[in-house]
Amino acid sequence: MSDALVSPTVAAVAGAASLLLLGTAIRKLRPRAGMHADPAANERIVPLMGVTGAFVFAAQMINFAVPGTGSSGHIVGGILLAAVLGPWAALLTLASVIVLQCLLFADGGFLALGCNLFNMAVLSCLVAYPLVFRPLMRPDASPARIFTASLLASVVGLQLGALAVTVETEASGITALPFGRFLLFMLPIHLAIGIGEGLATGAVLCAVRRYRPELLAGQPADKGLRKSLTVIALAALLVGGSFSWLASSQPDGLEWSIERTAGVAEIEAAPDEAHRAATALQERTAALPDYGTSTAGLVGCGILLLAAWGGTRLVRIRRRQA
Amino acid sequence: MKNRLQYALYALDALENSARAATPLHRLDARSKLLTTVVFLTTMLSVPLAQLSEILLYALFPLLTASMGGLRYDTIFRRSLYVVPFAALIGMFNIFCDREPALRLGALVVSEGWIAFLAILLRGLLSVQALLVLIGSTGFFGLCRGLQRLGVPHLFTVQLLFVYRYLYVLLDEALRLSWAREARSFGRRALPLPVWGTLVAQLLVRTCDRAERIHRAMLARGFTGRLPDCGSMRTRWGRADTLFLAGWSAALLLARLTGPVETLTRLLP
Repeated sequence: MSDALVSPTVAAVAGAASLLLLGTAIRKLRPRAGMHADPAANERIVPLMGVTGAFVFAAQMINFAVPGTGSSGHIVGGILLAAVLGPWAALLTLASVIVLQCLLFADGGFLALGCNLFNMAVLSCLVAYPLVFRPLMRPDASPARIFTASLLASVVGLQLGALAVTVETEASGITALPFGRFLLFMLPIHLAIGIGEGLATGAVLCAVRRYRPELLAGQPADKGLRKSLTVIALAALLVGGSFSWLASSQPDGLEWSIERTAGVAEIEAAPDEAHRAATALQERTAALPDYGTSTAGLVGCGILLLAAWGGTRLVRIRRRQA
Repeated sequence: MKNRLQYALYALDALENSARAATPLHRLDARSKLLTTVVFLTTMLSVPLAQLSEILLYALFPLLTASMGGLRYDTIFRRSLYVVPFAALIGMFNIFCDREPALRLGALVVSEGWIAFLAILLRGLLSVQALLVLIGSTGFFGLCRGLQRLGVPHLFTVQLLFVYRYLYVLLDEALRLSWAREARSFGRRALPLPVWGTLVAQLLVRTCDRAERIHRAMLARGFTGRLPDCGSMRTRWGRADTLFLAGWSAALLLARLTGPVETLTRLLP
């Protein structure tokens, strides 16, 4: 998700949610001074997370052929990391990969970082992995079972991610497309991506189990995590489900719910588009009336930019001559 | 496939090189540049989509900071173009959904949908450009230190530094694997899934072995679960940093609150 698609408010909300979960992950993984149970396991995770992060980075750059289409794709790696490192360490590792991609290659926005962490890392490592992948896996799982588990988990993770992207874009007031139709556009695309991701994850996990089965064996089950996550996921499904139900059953469902939650009865925009509600809210909070765009403004601004660009060129040439 | 891995290695080298220059922008504290970039993004992204001309004004920020950092704006512009397809994919719906006329260029009537579409593209381009200037003038270590001193937990910055350190190693290793496969595959480009799975699994197993070796080496050097702070390359927050942050924040907030472009055009006869 790029910065182009988020408003600062949405970025702040998603950022706060992601920071909260990352903070929890850090607290869980921090080597504790007074703990003698297994200090080795705790400090060992630091280099392991570091190097697997670099691994995911490299693996994302090796494309595989998508069967039957002639195109190629790459993985995100949430479920794969969680299967090897456990959910919290995987969350932190994948988060570091996403942050690095932003800070090294400007890939995915800086303000949208919170959204991206939530959509890609949190939903796959903390929701899809413990709720779908773990219950399906056994220590002695057959290849078919591994494939099924990774396929289902990846599809669930990416569908939730697509839902989150849709919610964030709509709440930012970026697209004129109503929520339900936007969702209809996003979900099938991400279903295909999820199937690709799932098959790829399954292929890697099967091969890893052939070479080195102990890598996949040792994740102690975290009962507390599963219980709290079940609650979170059920709540998310409920909210998401009701949102999409509202969106499909009545076109102005989202706006209706925004009105309800915001306690604003009379939003003065055209009633049937969610983004108008969001823009109206934004205009209310803005200090000045919005003017829209005029030809003169565009031309004037263009001339100013050209002049500035020319100026910087001159400075550059002058500097080189000096 | 080899292109992406090689491209990443080249890009990393280019980043290290451009971060090593000594310009006024390079000398600023990373925190000052980070915070200014956040102010820029927040103000620019909060401008409503209909105000395309106002958003265009924000192009001055990457343009001027790039010049201050001695970075070529045309290179930055070219590199920022990769966001166009994705932003266009989402933005194109606005063209179809919002057909009310917004302005007239001669005989051409531009609809509100087109304005919004162009505004989304511009938001994408400008945010990436600002980020590229930040990265190119600070470098990864500088950014990491800046984040740490802004309060990002130690474990996370250590993780970032670790990934960065081993990125070179693993990209190299992946490149070797893919070259070996390419030499035996007669020019077919993408990998079929089973082959890909084996290759990546190999890489993963080697990675875990490598982590084990690194861990032992770290233990041998007295690692206790914490890395020492990287203290030597600290920069001080100086007057230039305050000036940079305060100056740009004031300018950006002023631009956001007054909407200077359209206000000025109203004054035209």
